[in-house]
Amino acid sequence: MSLPRKVDPISTTLLQKIKESLDSLNEKLEVMIEIQKHGQRVNPENSIPNVLDVMTLLSLPDHLRKTAVTLCKLDQATADQVAEQTKRARAVESGYLNQLVLMGYVKKERRGRKAYFYVEREENQNPGEMKEPWEK
Amino acid sequence: MGKIIAVHSYKGGTGKTLLSINLASLYANRGKSVALLDLDFRAPSLHAIFKVHDSEYWLNDYLNGVCEIKKTLHDLSQTHTKKGRVFVGLANPSTEAIREMTAKDRKWEMKALGRLLSLKTSLLSDLGLDYVIFDTSPGLQYSSINAIVSSDVVLVVSGMDISDIRGTQRMIDELYELFEKKTGLIMNKVFADILSSRTQRADLAKKLMNSYNLPMIEMIPCFCDILKTGGVSIFANEYPEHPFIKTLDRVATNIENL
Repeated sequence: MSLPRKVDPISTTLLQKIKESLDSLNEKLEVMIEIQKHGQRVNPENSIPNVLDVMTLLSLPDHLRKTAVTLCKLDQATADQVAEQTKRARAVESGYLNQLVLMGYVKKERRGRKAYFYVEREENQNPGEMKEPWEK
Repeated sequence: MGKIIAVHSYKGGTGKTLLSINLASLYANRGKSVALLDLDFRAPSLHAIFKVHDSEYWLNDYLNGVCEIKKTLHDLSQTHTKKGRVFVGLANPSTEAIREMTAKDRKWEMKALGRLLSLKTSLLSDLGLDYVIFDTSPGLQYSSINAIVSSDVVLVVSGMDISDIRGTQRMIDELYELFEKKTGLIMNKVFADILSSRTQRADLAKKLMNSYNLPMIEMIPCFCDILKTGGVSIFANEYPEHPFIKTLDRVATNIENL
């Protein structure tokens, strides 16, 4: 005798929410590990210059510079997309990207189940609609 | 996909502009499509050499977010090459524009970097160009570092005097390596006597490569007849058999192997 295969829609939604919470928790843990590893206390409230220009890029440690330059090239990207370019593990890039977010150089926005990272270049820019002024 | 080449140096007067122009012409004469961009906003020069004295849009406008890159490009293919295509993007030479560009803040420089990085898509992918050559300003300043970060290959041009050699070494260690750039070295205006024999050339190349820890693309002797033209002619087109152009032709091929 086999068990019924039909899944309750409420259970599916609940499982989905649990998975999203776990993903979010995992990312926070990665950031904490990164910060501990590099002995940096970062606080977004601090008046850290948050302009990701070339002089800032030069001042970053090598591992973060690689992530930041890659993100600048991609304009906006998930940790997966950055990892594909840098040839490093997704979890590593996720940690570095979140560290850059905490340092105030990079913004993060959730769209559905994916987290997108981007460098905010225009005021109030919506990363989903990144366009230059001449574009309609 | 094509390549973006930044021609850079530690000091001014090393011959970046002359090399950039003739490299662009050589690639075009090989049937390639090339855009040469004047990113030396402090001392623009391509407008004078290509005799384009007015432009509806300058590269300054593109970096200011006023227009798209295509609007800044002048198609000089008919007058400057028989085979490929040559486009030139100019820096605004007016004193007011130069002053304005030197007073930009960090936020503007960050946006400018984004716009230079997007040239890979707009010029190489969308317009299908084979090469984009950035003629940069010398030394470590925003416009030149932005250009280096946005390029695929950096050609660093150095003279033989000790201040240039030391400064170039520092730039290699503290700039190009940090951005993991493919970099090639061109020694320009080398005293002809020290390049006279094959052994002398090989010894000098070895010494310089060890000192810079970079591949040597070429050692170009000093040609007085180039100076005599006063920059009014494009050597690759007017004197294709000149030894300077023959040397640059090897440079154009060697860039491919970097």
